[in-house]
Amino acid sequence: MTRSLAGLAALALLGVLVLPLVALVVGTSPSQLQQGLASPAFVPALALSLRTTFVSVVLLVLAGTPLAWWLAHGRGRWRRVVAGVVDLPIVVPPAVTGVALLRLLGRRGLLGDALDSLGIVIPFSTSAVVLAQVVVAAPFFVQGATTAFRRVEPDLIVVARTLGCTPMSALRRVALPIAMPGLVGAACVAWARALGEFGATLLFAGNLPGVTQTMPLAIVRGLEADVQVAVAFSLALVAAGAVLLLGMRWATARMTEHR
Amino acid sequence: MMRWSVAVVLLCAGCGASSPREPVHVFAASSLTAPFEDLEARFERAHPQVDVRLTFAGSQVLRLQVEQGAPADVFASADLVHARALHEAGLLEAPQVFATTELTVVVPRDDDAISEIADLASARRIVAGASSVPIGAYTQQMLGRARTVLGDGFVQAVEAAVVSEESNVRLVRTKVELGEADAAVVYATEVNDRVRAIPVPDAMNVTVELAAGISTRAERSSHAAAFMGALCGPMGAAALRTAGFEVVTP
Repeated sequence: MTRSLAGLAALALLGVLVLPLVALVVGTSPSQLQQGLASPAFVPALALSLRTTFVSVVLLVLAGTPLAWWLAHGRGRWRRVVAGVVDLPIVVPPAVTGVALLRLLGRRGLLGDALDSLGIVIPFSTSAVVLAQVVVAAPFFVQGATTAFRRVEPDLIVVARTLGCTPMSALRRVALPIAMPGLVGAACVAWARALGEFGATLLFAGNLPGVTQTMPLAIVRGLEADVQVAVAFSLALVAAGAVLLLGMRWATARMTEHR
Repeated sequence: MMRWSVAVVLLCAGCGASSPREPVHVFAASSLTAPFEDLEARFERAHPQVDVRLTFAGSQVLRLQVEQGAPADVFASADLVHARALHEAGLLEAPQVFATTELTVVVPRDDDAISEIADLASARRIVAGASSVPIGAYTQQMLGRARTVLGDGFVQAVEAAVVSEESNVRLVRTKVELGEADAAVVYATEVNDRVRAIPVPDAMNVTVELAAGISTRAERSSHAAAFMGALCGPMGAAALRTAGFEVVTP
């Protein structure tokens, strides 16, 4: 009895996850899809989304990997505090993140005057899109990478050092290969989160086709003008997400096999 | 046992007492926030049995929600386009223009770089409404007229300075209030003490028509009709005039 109830609940959850996507696909004819994707907003929005999320993930990997290593193996009481700070964007609504970024980097923001005197303008620019994505996606990469690095036994590094490795090469030749599947997974999740980013981008970067209008923003704008366009865009984004997910599964499976 | 039944009775009484009023769902353009909140208070004083529930957003967002089946009893748009579209789709009774206003340029309160409309060409960052939003469509009409008055160069400079297209007039104004935009075009009724208004000459200005109608599937059409009547009557006129609108009497 309990078992069948649990099964039913699980099935219901699966239904809620899958059926909306099925409806999205089924409710659209190929010609409607083609028509929607022919909208002049599509190519710029998709290109901008791919470009900005790529830059965001590269920045996250470069800055997040050392941070994650420290969170996994560092010492001191500050570690917990920093781990908490890194997780903050998960619990803070993206709209709040957007307002906070404006309060910091906007013209009237804390750093507004300093930036202005340097001739740097961040809000309403493509850099603002990237910054918003980096902030909201950071916890997903850093968390995943920290977990991946925790799997690396500190003793292994010590052994590598006694065998003549420098700290850097011990990290590169011992720790990174062990953590790699987890790091790739974390980067993919962060990429997915950046791709879907909406609230912080809308407030901090604005909504201008070709400059700050990423796919999620174009979908909402499309919804306001022509529902079919929004549906076609959504399908394209779902397809991109599915390709990402499958690619990630395949890459991590291969990496685990090779070890 | 006794205690439980008392509790249940009290609970039920509580449910009954908390919602004796019948709701009327009013979807209104964000530019109508002030007068409609005022009208809500006046209307509920006159009709204590009715609970007016207001939803504010860009007219095109509200129209989309109504098209997708949102339970609006009254729909009030910042232009005739969206109201007519719903009427033609059979979702709204014939819409009625109940008020008008016009456009104005606003700049941050403490910013004196722009003192007349022609200075707009030198603004570095302008925020506008998207073309699907009434304020965006009106702004484009205004720029069309500006082309003949101030020339192509002016229009091109303004269009090149647009850094964001917002989805309702309140979001446009907010960007100026925050100082993030040098200037924006909004309704004259949107001017508050955090922004400074730069008048738009008559030759370039456009008339903004606010239109409302009763939903064809209004559940409590008598209350919806009463609200519509109040909006187009003295009660609505008072609220609209307080907020700076010109009242249109049918």
